[in-house]
Amino acid sequence: MLKRLLLIRGAEIVAFTLLATIPLVVSNSYVLGLLTLLAIYGILLIGLDVTVGYLGQVNLAHAAFLGLGAYGAGLSVSLLGFGMLSALAVSMLIGLVLGGLLAFPALRLEGPQFALATLSFMALSATVLNEWESLTFGAQGLTVSRPALFAHAVNAQGFYWLCLIFLALVWMAMRNLLSSQWGRAFEALRDSPIATDAMGIGTYRHKVIGFALGSALGSLAGGLYAFNFQYLQPLSFTYELMVILLLGVVLGGRKSLWGAFFGASLVALLPNLLSNRLLFEIISAVGLLAALFAGIRGLIKKTTRPFQAIAPIIALGMLVVGGILVKNTEDWRKGIFALMLFSVVVGLPEGLMGFAARFLTRLFRIDPPALPPAAALDTVLPAKVQDIGPLLQLEGLKRYFGGVKAVDGVSITVQAGQIHGLIGPNGSGKSTAVNVISGLYAPTTGKMMLHGKALPMGLFNVARAGVSRTFQNLQLFSELSAMDNVMVALKGVYRTPLPLVLLGLAKGEEKRAQADALALLELVGLRPHARISAKDLTYGDQRFLEIARALARKPELLILDEPAAGLALPDVNKLVEIIRRIHQRGITIILIEHHMDVVSELCDVVTVLDGGKVIAEGSAEEVKRDPKVIEAYLGTTNETAAMTVVK
Amino acid sequence: MNSIIIVQMAVSGAMMGLVYALIAYGFQLTFSTSKSINFGQGELVMLSAFFSLTLLNWGVPYWLMVPGGLLFGVILGLAVERAGVRLALEQKSEGWILLTIIIGLLGFSAAENIWGRDDRPFPTPISSDALHFFGISITPLEISVAVGVFAVMGLIELFKRKTLLGKAFEAVSADRDAAELMGISATRTVMLSYGLSGMVAAMAGILVSPITTVGPTMASALILKAFSVAVVAGLESGFGVVIVGIFLGALESLTSFYLGSGWREAPGLILLILALAVRPNGIFGKASIRKV
Amino acid sequence: MLVVENLHAGYGTSKVLTGASLKVAKGKVVALIGANGAGKTTTMRAISGMLKPDQGRVLLDGKPVQGQDASRIARLGLAHAPEGRKVFGPLSTEDNLLLGAYSRLPLFFGFRAKSLQDLERVYELFPLLKERRMQTSGTLSGGEQQMLAIGRALMANPKIMLLDEPSMGLAPVIVQEVFKTIRRLKAAGLTLLLVEQFAKSALEVADYAYVMERGRIVAEGEPAELQKDERVLAAYLG
Repeated sequence: MLKRLLLIRGAEIVAFTLLATIPLVVSNSYVLGLLTLLAIYGILLIGLDVTVGYLGQVNLAHAAFLGLGAYGAGLSVSLLGFGMLSALAVSMLIGLVLGGLLAFPALRLEGPQFALATLSFMALSATVLNEWESLTFGAQGLTVSRPALFAHAVNAQGFYWLCLIFLALVWMAMRNLLSSQWGRAFEALRDSPIATDAMGIGTYRHKVIGFALGSALGSLAGGLYAFNFQYLQPLSFTYELMVILLLGVVLGGRKSLWGAFFGASLVALLPNLLSNRLLFEIISAVGLLAALFAGIRGLIKKTTRPFQAIAPIIALGMLVVGGILVKNTEDWRKGIFALMLFSVVVGLPEGLMGFAARFLTRLFRIDPPALPPAAALDTVLPAKVQDIGPLLQLEGLKRYFGGVKAVDGVSITVQAGQIHGLIGPNGSGKSTAVNVISGLYAPTTGKMMLHGKALPMGLFNVARAGVSRTFQNLQLFSELSAMDNVMVALKGVYRTPLPLVLLGLAKGEEKRAQADALALLELVGLRPHARISAKDLTYGDQRFLEIARALARKPELLILDEPAAGLALPDVNKLVEIIRRIHQRGITIILIEHHMDVVSELCDVVTVLDGGKVIAEGSAEEVKRDPKVIEAYLGTTNETAAMTVVK
Repeated sequence: MNSIIIVQMAVSGAMMGLVYALIAYGFQLTFSTSKSINFGQGELVMLSAFFSLTLLNWGVPYWLMVPGGLLFGVILGLAVERAGVRLALEQKSEGWILLTIIIGLLGFSAAENIWGRDDRPFPTPISSDALHFFGISITPLEISVAVGVFAVMGLIELFKRKTLLGKAFEAVSADRDAAELMGISATRTVMLSYGLSGMVAAMAGILVSPITTVGPTMASALILKAFSVAVVAGLESGFGVVIVGIFLGALESLTSFYLGSGWREAPGLILLILALAVRPNGIFGKASIRKV
Repeated sequence: MLVVENLHAGYGTSKVLTGASLKVAKGKVVALIGANGAGKTTTMRAISGMLKPDQGRVLLDGKPVQGQDASRIARLGLAHAPEGRKVFGPLSTEDNLLLGAYSRLPLFFGFRAKSLQDLERVYELFPLLKERRMQTSGTLSGGEQQMLAIGRALMANPKIMLLDEPSMGLAPVIVQEVFKTIRRLKAAGLTLLLVEQFAKSALEVADYAYVMERGRIVAEGEPAELQKDERVLAAYLG
């Protein structure tokens, strides 16, 4: 525990103390300028990392938020006479609001469309800054005076410390955010947006808020940028800056505060790198050697693909050869950025920090903090009083895909407190049916009612209504640990509002969530593996983990979609035991399964589907004897023969 | 009188709009096979235009320059696919977004240094003396843009519908795995689509250069509008990009007439963000089904 | 014709196949049966190259093909009609069929003329497809799509055909239809590896059969012998 505190917090404290004391020792205005820039870019890149790293989206609008924040701060000083802090608050607000507004439409999109939308936003904001001349003075530029802070004029040194304080605050707030439920949710939605919605976490909501926060940091950095340079031009906030910022995040290492910090130092130093010929040549040569070494090593060990090994060597080779041939490197700055960024993206996709982290974790093994004792299962999943009557009613449910009638008029009533089996041959519509119930697909027609009320539309809303599910093809959050997989889905634990989370006031509920999650892991026998990431669990344990995660929603209705598929026999027995235990707590279960023995052992009622229609319903024994069921399973040969085979 | 001016502005805007449509069509070609697009497509337009200009300066006749320029576009398209797209697609990552942006930047820097930063005129044998129809003047140059755009798009559509290779192309966009089972190599189809997309970009460069002049930044505004057209129309419908392209071209020409030329980029960008809010898959696009 | 030795394959962490081996002789129909999740479809995918096997060999005509791209293996004469049919929805029925013969036809012009005979053959087998030849295949019914998938695979004139769950999601009448077709193909001398969940029907048409359980073959033999085997009974109702 102490070692952990010393190493992690220690490194941060040392770095910030060092940064703070440099101006006391070195009184060089050039160095001071660089350091100020470093702090500003640090804030900027931490903001960009939220979208690019944590949300996993290519965001091209960040330079625009820097610009909008800068103009916002500058204008609120020159037009409204605001002081330093209120001007910065204005710029942050601009980022938050505009970021939110952009995110609402843009984050309904994936990948390339999102990148296009943000690119357009950047171009739009450049147009506005350029053309709204009555406000921004357009291409002429805007002169900004640095306002007073609490009625004290701020000199260059003081301003640097101010920037550093902001960086430290942002750093701490982000650390608090990322180690809370929010950080887990970000991680989860990148792994499986579908499961994130199905667990009632809300993919969209988290994306929008994350984007707005990141943009707010970008425009806060913009405000500081304005007061640092005291002169703004729309041209500064365009495409090229955007590429450099991306270079910073990717080279520094995504999903890492330290990575953003290293990236920021790189972005701050880059222009100087190009103006010093010797430095440039040394760095490109070192880069080439590193690429050669890593590439050859990767090829021999077969850990990298040929392209991944060779392309960076070619790109950096071009840099070295070009450095010798070209007279003025400044002319080629875009090309140089491009070659450097290319090598990093292809050859070192996890960035410097990701690369370093592999070695650092090996060097300093830090034990994770101890886990709290598991909560009592009765508090996490209180046994319900058996209410009698129908829980879920489906009437005439249909779902067509083009000409294929996957579900073709299904009516089922699931009684509260029962285990309701759903069986049928492949393609009979079982999976489609539960996908419609859980809100993944909208029904073509038909009624669905939970407790007599219409079931809401959409995965997220159905999940919030108390229906939880597992997936036939596992949809775990594979990068998260087993415990985090359960914690992220926990219902009713996280109540701290976002501003308080940023202040670090969510630690208590975090402990409670851990205890609750452990109780659920215990239920499925995964308690000892709480710290192992989901992708490293055995296949059977992954299936059990999905069940535990679904239980974290404290559902009224639990849908298990082929939980025994691919399980070895001992695991099947364990599964039966787990389902029994869940049932004892009064949770109604829909069980889709192919293993007939599992179904007959557990289910109170079994519905058989074939060709999208219900062909039989009754107890497992009744259904097994039904000639229509036998026919559906055995094919259309004569019935007596089939009977003799099944006995 | 006023209404004639409006129609006049709309018509010349629409001609430019066809160029946006052509570039957007290039995005559709690659998107249909690989769900990826070249974010550096504007640089392809610009580099091909510069290369064609160099051919002309070397004394190559105009009509021989055209195939030469198109071939150059194909080569660039193939290079982008190899260096920026293939690995990312194999890894099922979105790294191609960043990589194609980077390759575009490299192309931009190369053009700046090889051909200089100044805008240069692009000679053409096609006259720019206005012809008058019902009081509206159109130059043969503008007509040549329309003819060129429809010719290229028509030829490619014909290729897709009438040749087996073209059908294979559509098969890959419909179901990549199943296409592989027919013996169709998806990797090669993606290559082909990038080659075609490069050719389309080169054609756009050759068509538009006599109007806009040639310079490193010639395509930066063009490409943004092509993005808007592609997203608003959806990345599936060739018919859609033409309609949206014409509409956007006319709209921005009117905007610049009423609000000043600096605002001409604005309608496309606003249209794009709005379209995304209402129909994320584009007006002519199909809704996608989430699979588990 | 086709030899599979000790095949291991899976998706990510889940290892579905753990050493499957089987043989298909020329001109024979071989059935692969087993409960859901036993690894039948995965076996097919690993053979045709849709999934790269982790370990093991696949020999087609004595030549190893494991690990090659699916398109390469298809060109060597292996046609795979996949689970779920996977027709090219936006294309017409006839275009789907033409693409089935992709590796044998000229790429640009004259491909239609050259494929007329094969088209006629498929239309003779499935007259319904001829009626629907210009219809977009995505709008065909499930049964029609299944016929199209089989017809498309036939267009390649394959040395061997893999047919995965042709009865999936179809009404019993249509399933009968499908099995009638399979019998006709068998009579025409087609080499066929058939995966089927309706074990009974599959055993009736097959010359030889393998029973799969948890990623490996647990029983094999002539259908008549296998019907007496207990493990086959397990394969019926899973």
